[in-house]
Parts: sequence; structure tokens; C-alpha cells
Amino acid sequence: MMQMKRTNISFQRISLIMLIVVIALGGATGCKSKKKLAREQAAAEYAARVEQATRDLTAILNDDNSWSLEEKERRFATIKGWNLQDENVVNLMDQVEDKLAQERADAMRKAEEERLRREEEERLQREAAKYNSVENQFMAIAAAPDVNTANEKIDQAMRLFASPDVPVLVIISQAGGFNDYDKPTTISKYLNYLKDQKVYNNRIEQVKYDGNGKIIELELIKK
Amino acid sequence: MRKIQFIIAVLIGMFSVNMVQAQDDLSPERKQAIDSLALEKVRDLSKYISIIGSKTTPWSEANRVIDRADELFMAGAEIGVSSISRPEVAYYKVRQYFERLMRLNYDRVEIEWFKIEYVSDLQRQPDGTYVGVITIFQKFKGYDKEGGLVYEDTTKKDITVYVKRKETQIGGRIIGFWDVLLGDMRVKETSK
Repeated sequence: MMQMKRTNISFQRISLIMLIVVIALGGATGCKSKKKLAREQAAAEYAARVEQATRDLTAILNDDNSWSLEEKERRFATIKGWNLQDENVVNLMDQVEDKLAQERADAMRKAEEERLRREEEERLQREAAKYNSVENQFMAIAAAPDVNTANEKIDQAMRLFASPDVPVLVIISQAGGFNDYDKPTTISKYLNYLKDQKVYNNRIEQVKYDGNGKIIELELIKK
Repeated sequence: MRKIQFIIAVLIGMFSVNMVQAQDDLSPERKQAIDSLALEKVRDLSKYISIIGSKTTPWSEANRVIDRADELFMAGAEIGVSSISRPEVAYYKVRQYFERLMRLNYDRVEIEWFKIEYVSDLQRQPDGTYVGVITIFQKFKGYDKEGGLVYEDTTKKDITVYVKRKETQIGGRIIGFWDVLLGDMRVKETSK
């Protein structure tokens, strides 16, 4: 009886130990699977980022996209933030960084050129407005329907000038800060020229006045 | 000291040569500008001839315009006159041509120039003058007092143009300008 009882206790102990071993082994295997899965997921994510980075950087390098400079810079910053160690990606990033720096410099230069162009346009408009009254008189002479009307307009215009011999210079070309002129003439001859040719195709570039507000030199430029 | 003076002299010489060369070697833009200027002078002449020939132009105006037209030409230049009724071409001094044009024996005259273009581009000569030839076609129509067309012809004429850079002083500064002068106007062909 005693012998049977001892045998039963040993069996229970062995079963308990085996159960613990099975649980212990089973739990360890489950934990190992989860880590492996996580590693695989991380590796897949890394590979996807490398692929995405390679695609975007190559597209930027080859201008094979319709992204604005800001969009390119945003994508580049995102890729940089991933901190990828892939040799090809690192190499592409170096090239793209240089390219974007160049594009930024070009964009700034273009913006500056555009600003200067607008300023010059505004200056010309201000200048044109300043000389509007004189220009209008010239156009009226050129558009006069007959000789008598043209002569009346010439008399009116002549009042703006200090004398009929006021020099008139006509710039025919400007290059490198250097002006080429037509043969200088006088205001009297120039106004009659407008009457004869019936066309005014210049623009006032510069006017010099005397103390009485009369014009003493007129510089025109061909349109 | 002499060495330094020599070097300075050489440098000044080189600088001067460069300046002269800069004037000689016109950029395409500047060349284009003087090409256009010469063509414009011929177009101006076309308008002057039309005004001088017109019977509605007051006498004083016609004489003023003759002065302006005359200024376009070199001294001694001649203009050819042809007719479909005679084979020879008569040549007159510029002012004489304009005065004859003003007194033509028609009651109304129409003169129109067209196809004004370079037949020979402006070429730089050794003395710095640019010389070219511009061709024009002139349509002439003369009417009697009843308004009937009594004579008409179309003449092709070649005009030699001379363009030279000159300088003058205006308002205390030196102005470099291109002086365009027209030479002889030769008749090339005349047809009805």
C-alpha cells in the first residue's frame, strides 16, 4: 500500500516537472517568433525606405519629376531624417544635396533678376509718365492731318524749349554702358522731321532743363 | 626708371590699340543698329521725295524739305533719272534733281518707294567707313489737270550708303555718333 502511494507521488512530481518544462519551452519558442517577426518587419521597412529613397533621389538627380524646389527639399529632408546607411543612398544624397544647393542658388538669382527687371520697368514707367506731356506733343505733330495743323503743334511744342537750336540726341543702340547715337540734330529740325515723316518712334531717355524750366538738351532712344 | 617708363608706354599703347579694336569690331547688335539707321535714312528720303514731288506741298515747305533731303547726301552725289520713252539715263546733282522734281510738268504727282532693302551689306573699309548698297523700287505716276494718268513707270535704283563714326561735343561731353550719308543713286532698270 505504502509502495503504491510512493509510486503515485513520484508520478505526480514527474508530471509537474514535465508540465513546467513544456510551458517553459513553449513560452520561449513563442517569444523567439515575435522577435523574429519584429526583425523581419524592421528589415522590410528599411528595404522599403531604401527603395523609396533611391527612387526619389534618382528622380531629383535626373529631373525626372514635376516637383517644385520646395517639394524636392522636403523629400530630401525626409530621406535624410531616415538616417539610412545604404552606400548607394548615401552617395545619391551627396549628389542631390549639391544639386539642390545649385537649384536654390539659381532660383535666388532668377528672383533677383526678376526683381531688378520689375524695378527697371517701374523706373521706365515713372520716366515715361514724367515726360508724358512732351511725348504727347511729339505724337500730336506726327499725327497732324495737314501742314498748317502740324506747324501750330510745332509752335506749341517749341515753347517747352529754351531755343530752336536745343540739341536733340537719338540713341540707336546701348551696349555695355556705351551709347551709339544718330547724328545730333536740333529741336527745330526734329519737330519738322516728325511733321514730314508722320511718325514718332522714339522714347524720351533724358531731359535737361535751365533755371526757367525750359529744355536745353533732349536725349531720345529708339523704341 | 627708364624701364618703368618703357613698360608704362607699352601698356598705354596696348590699351589704345584695344580701344580702337573695340570700335572696329562691332558687336552684332551695334552692327544691326547701324544697318537699321542707314535703311531709315533711305526711308526718310523716300518720304522727302514724295513731299517735294507733291503739287499740294506749299512752296516754302518744299524748299525746306529739299534742304533736309539734301543734307542726307554726300557733297557731289548724283541721282539718275530715266524714262520709258528714252534709253539713256540722265544724272543730276542732288539739289538740281530735287528742284526739277518740284517743278515737274504735271498737275498731280504720286511717288512711292517700295522694296527698300540691302543689296550689299555694310562692309568696313580700311579707313573705318562702312559702305553698302541699298536697292529701292520707285513707282512714279503723273496726272494731267483732268486727273488722267499721263505717265507712269517703275524704276529700280541702287543707292550707295556710307556710314562713318564721328564725334562731337554737346553740353561739355563728347558724343560718338554714326554719320550716314547717301552717295550716288544709280538707275538699274525702268519699266512701265
